[in-house]
Amino acid sequence: MKTPLFHFRHVTKRFGDRVLLNIDEFVVNAGVCMLITGDNGAGKTTLLKIVSGLVKPDSAKVQVKDAVLSWSKARVKIQRNLVYLHQDPYMLDTTVERNIAYGLRLHKEPRAHLYDTVADALRWARLDHLAHRNARSLSGGEKQRVALTRARIVNPSVLALDEPTTNMDQQSRISTYQLIDALRNEGMAILVASHDQTGLTPIADHHTQLVGGKLVNVEPAFKRSRATKVTRFPG
Amino acid sequence: MESLTDASLKALSLLVSGDAELWAIISISFGVSFQAILYTTPPALLTAYALAHFEFPGRRTLVSLFHTLLAVPAVVVGLTLYLLLSRSGPFGDLKLLFTQTAMVLGQMVLSFPILVAMGHSALQSADQRVWETAYTLGAPPLRAMFTVMHEVRYGLFAAVIAAFGRIIAEVGCSMMVGGNILNYTRNITTAIALETSKGQFAQGIALGIVLLVLALVLNYSLSTLRHRLAMQA
Repeated sequence: MKTPLFHFRHVTKRFGDRVLLNIDEFVVNAGVCMLITGDNGAGKTTLLKIVSGLVKPDSAKVQVKDAVLSWSKARVKIQRNLVYLHQDPYMLDTTVERNIAYGLRLHKEPRAHLYDTVADALRWARLDHLAHRNARSLSGGEKQRVALTRARIVNPSVLALDEPTTNMDQQSRISTYQLIDALRNEGMAILVASHDQTGLTPIADHHTQLVGGKLVNVEPAFKRSRATKVTRFPG
Repeated sequence: MESLTDASLKALSLLVSGDAELWAIISISFGVSFQAILYTTPPALLTAYALAHFEFPGRRTLVSLFHTLLAVPAVVVGLTLYLLLSRSGPFGDLKLLFTQTAMVLGQMVLSFPILVAMGHSALQSADQRVWETAYTLGAPPLRAMFTVMHEVRYGLFAAVIAAFGRIIAEVGCSMMVGGNILNYTRNITTAIALETSKGQFAQGIALGIVLLVLALVLNYSLSTLRHRLAMQA
């Protein structure tokens, strides 16, 4: 059975006279990957940022377990459980290793343990050869992998990805799909806003489309076993 | 009156021979200005961050006000502080007039708008994604602020250097609230003014050389930081 982590209700956001979002219900379930598609300017990024606690909606209620909270109050709980990744992830002006360690430092991980954990994470993402490079000098695909690893290391329940494969070559795209699939297999809930339906539909459990500020289910999502998922992306 | 060549040679000899009076003046100058920058930088950068990061009524007016305060003459700050600290002023009981503390206060007032205005420009140019990345990875607001400041550190260093350059070279405020007392409140600029008025140019030239070297070092540091800023962009 799916466990709802965050249940958003009556989410509205206006920009001037334009109602960008008017969503009755949006549920983030544990371990589920949801693909959100929509035209340019449909509000995918705004929705993801509202869900991630980064953009204040005009109205929204959030149910966390049994408590129904205002968005502002739920924000703290969201921050503890969800990591948002930008379309073009921001790399701090330091090494790849220190970028990945950033979240762990915030959680006051002991220094000795910290770099072992970071080294493991670098190996997991096959980034160990780039550990001491300045993260800003990396390619788009490498930056996305660093950002995914930097998010994974803080062990969130939910990962919100905004257009994770835009402007990537085929190889980088495949490697990003593999990482997203691996994160999903680790039990992380994943929200992906993307135009890239072909590559991401196989990973997604649900596909929903943002039309006129409302979410519309796109059925059926590609259903498959976890074993087949990994083999779809040879690398 | 001694010739310019004689005075210049004497100035160099004063500098290299480690003349006690000259080096006391230099050390007072640096001590006062370092203290002023040290105490002003944290609140000024916090103000700059608040102006760059938060939306609140009157924010634009405050930004304009700080830009306007950049042009306030040092003597006006000196005069205001003099009136406040003089015996008949509201803070006369503190007996701060003609002390180094009064000079530090004056230089703090002078450097605050520079640090806020330049710091605000640097922080406003910071990518919105820095704060969002820090926040989403679990940073509390204060830590997220430090992350943003770290990312625009060259711009903030440039603000500190520019403010230091302004206060160490100002004369009006230090003269009025410091009183130019030897070995206590006489700094480089007030000493130059005094020695020149006495027709004793050697010490004035020596101190002028120190200020010029300092200006060179500060400008070189600023251009290096600007180069790094351009590389960062």
